[in-house]
Amino acid sequence: MSIKVVIKRNTYFDSVSLMSLSTKANQIEGVEQAIIGMGTEMNKGVIRNVGLMTPEVEEATAGDLMIIVKTTSADQTESAYLAVEELLTNKNKAQAKSDIKYATIDSAAQGIPDANFAVISVNGAFAVREARKALENDLHVMLFSDNVSVEDEVELKTLAHEKGLLMMGPDCGTAIIGNTGLCFANAVRKGNIGIVAASGTGSQEVSVRIHDFGGGITQLIGTGGRDLSKEVGGIMMLDGIKALDADEATKVIVLVSKPPEASVEKKVLAQIKECSKPVVVYFIGGNEEAVVAAGGQFAKTSKEAALKAVLLAGIDEAGINKRALNIPLVEEVRAKLAPEQKYIRGLFCGGTLCDESMYLAMEKFDNVYSNIQKNPDFLLKDINVSQEHTFIDFGDDDFTNGKPHPMIDPSSRIDRFLQEAKDPSVGVIVMDFVLGFGSHEDPVGVMLPAMIEAKQLAEKEGRHLEIIGYVLGTDLDTPNIDEQVKKLIDAGVTHASSSTNAGLLAREMVLKGENHE
Amino acid sequence: MIHAKSGDDYFLQQMVATAFTGTVHSVFQHALNIQRDGNGEIFTLATKAMDRAPNTLVIDLDTFDHLDIHQYDRVLVRHNQLLIEEKLQIAIHTATRWQCQLPIYPLNRTSLRMNMSSVKQFIDLQGKGGGIKRNDSPVNEFEAETSRLLQQRTTLLYEEILNQRLDRFQAYAADLVGLGPGLTPSGDDFLVGLFAVIHLENSPCSIYKPLCESVIKMIQPLTNEISYTTLKKAAYGQVRESICSFIHAILYGTEAESIEALRKVLAIGSSSGTDIALGLISGLEANIKLGG
Repeated sequence: MSIKVVIKRNTYFDSVSLMSLSTKANQIEGVEQAIIGMGTEMNKGVIRNVGLMTPEVEEATAGDLMIIVKTTSADQTESAYLAVEELLTNKNKAQAKSDIKYATIDSAAQGIPDANFAVISVNGAFAVREARKALENDLHVMLFSDNVSVEDEVELKTLAHEKGLLMMGPDCGTAIIGNTGLCFANAVRKGNIGIVAASGTGSQEVSVRIHDFGGGITQLIGTGGRDLSKEVGGIMMLDGIKALDADEATKVIVLVSKPPEASVEKKVLAQIKECSKPVVVYFIGGNEEAVVAAGGQFAKTSKEAALKAVLLAGIDEAGINKRALNIPLVEEVRAKLAPEQKYIRGLFCGGTLCDESMYLAMEKFDNVYSNIQKNPDFLLKDINVSQEHTFIDFGDDDFTNGKPHPMIDPSSRIDRFLQEAKDPSVGVIVMDFVLGFGSHEDPVGVMLPAMIEAKQLAEKEGRHLEIIGYVLGTDLDTPNIDEQVKKLIDAGVTHASSSTNAGLLAREMVLKGENHE
Repeated sequence: MIHAKSGDDYFLQQMVATAFTGTVHSVFQHALNIQRDGNGEIFTLATKAMDRAPNTLVIDLDTFDHLDIHQYDRVLVRHNQLLIEEKLQIAIHTATRWQCQLPIYPLNRTSLRMNMSSVKQFIDLQGKGGGIKRNDSPVNEFEAETSRLLQQRTTLLYEEILNQRLDRFQAYAADLVGLGPGLTPSGDDFLVGLFAVIHLENSPCSIYKPLCESVIKMIQPLTNEISYTTLKKAAYGQVRESICSFIHAILYGTEAESIEALRKVLAIGSSSGTDIALGLISGLEANIKLGG
């Protein structure tokens, strides 16, 4: 046994961060036990009880942060401690200073005269002012901040439109500009397909599937989730389509969104008509006839959108692995589920991934509930209690108020997962694990003990519990997608190869007495 | 310039009526603690998502991230503005005054008895483990041992109250202070809930009121300054708004109102909300047993 102790004087982390760090630290390879906590006398007493007391721990005071790492052998201790330290450092990365620091947008624009793009992530009170300054300095803007009024959004987008600039956001979480992923984006191949999206994880999924099918991305322009509302009128999506139409490198355009407001949809479809390039439209739950009438290519699912895009972009269909649904597996699981195991429980980090699975379920079932249902009759009465088929978006405000987004800290859904796993009416639990810039460094790993525990519990009770996991990411992402998938498979979890397949597998596995697709 | 939305009466009074200066003690996403020069008392600036609380000023801001404010930055109050270096200016005069008013323990306990079992069930289901609520699979030996000690010591304290013995109360309460890994240790959080119940007017446990106040004098070195401030306020019957609302709901409200108010308490910190709620439940159960 080997122990390393570091005491950080007068260092405070909030409880949520401390717990999250502690959980992650105990999962580091080689760590037998990691303790991150305040150096109070009582905690030191506990440390004594578990045999980890050292002279350094004795000297810690109530305002100090103690980090204690125990490994089986001395040669592992230093590297395990460094891994813990890295977790703490990453926690503070938000406050890390860049090489050159500018206090204002104006001084940054003057200091870097060649800059033409600003990513703004400040608190809502200053977001509008900073975005306006950036536009006035002829900078395209990606505005990550939310809490911006719709009136301000319209004003900013109108100003950008008049100046021929992009105004992506507010609340724009994903973009790929000039082959650089911004905020939550995945590492994808450079290619000839452009995306305009009013949906963060929706655009991540389409870009990842395009990469998987052998295609690549020119630009991924985020618009912010409210762009296709009646008030904003799709200003950014219309400008985004025009920008990609004018971009020589882009040969095919894909639009991604939840269904737009009717009058805005008309404007977008009218824009497609004028577009010189093929446009694939993936509006979840959208109207195929209207899209086709406008000359667009309708896609019902994210996978179909990506497939159509790569084919239009010139990728040879014969060389594409379309990742067909595993029908024998569906049959096998159906046979294993008891008659009372009728329901799906979808626990998602990505809102659009949740939406896609939910809409696929709604094609076959009329009792699909969610915290993001459009139909108020099927909105969960209590978001903490599932009803029949239930799909939860853990990234929704209901769950993130004062807490990290589940893509950053997925531990928030662990308790809910265990709760659902104990429900004897549940046949299938489906979950997403999102990789990429800004996301958690091991999203599957953090969920793994709970998944193993749930499987064991179900087995003990003599029932089969089917868990489907989908890892959103590419072979270029960090962490390694193959390792993430392997962890799922080793734990007996069914790996779905896409968001669409995850939704279809879940739906088909619980269908009783009907033909699957 | 950021505007203050609401402020604890005592904090506002201190800023307006005295020469208030201090340094930044600690910065989190939704809270910034200030340590006052002289007596070292902790005061808190909270973002608008947070509820009102003792020694706290809620301001019209979403987050303290990216403001580049650091530990030991200077804080002062000038012309009705609270200033942190040149990084944050807060207009104080816009704040509405708030003070914690705990409800009166009712003569008719029908609602309380009715709400108690559903609240306990809800905590059992939705409460966060790792503190007073034991985790089925503790993350390590340290957590398992902490949970064991918390359970043992909270039980001792509860039995002490039931037996109406005054001599061991302080020692048992002090044994909980600083126990638990979080910023506000679970033992401290439990005591916050328990102290609040003891301070309800007509509370059968209220004989312990003076002891809460005296225990505070002996525990300062046992916990960190942030948690100590919360405990000290609770020892005088001052707790945050969500705790106050929950106590009101469980004493006088319906089952649904109690659960709704409980959710807000459970949302505090990581396991802090659960630990506070279990302290409240422990006090209320003792009240029921002692007072009928």
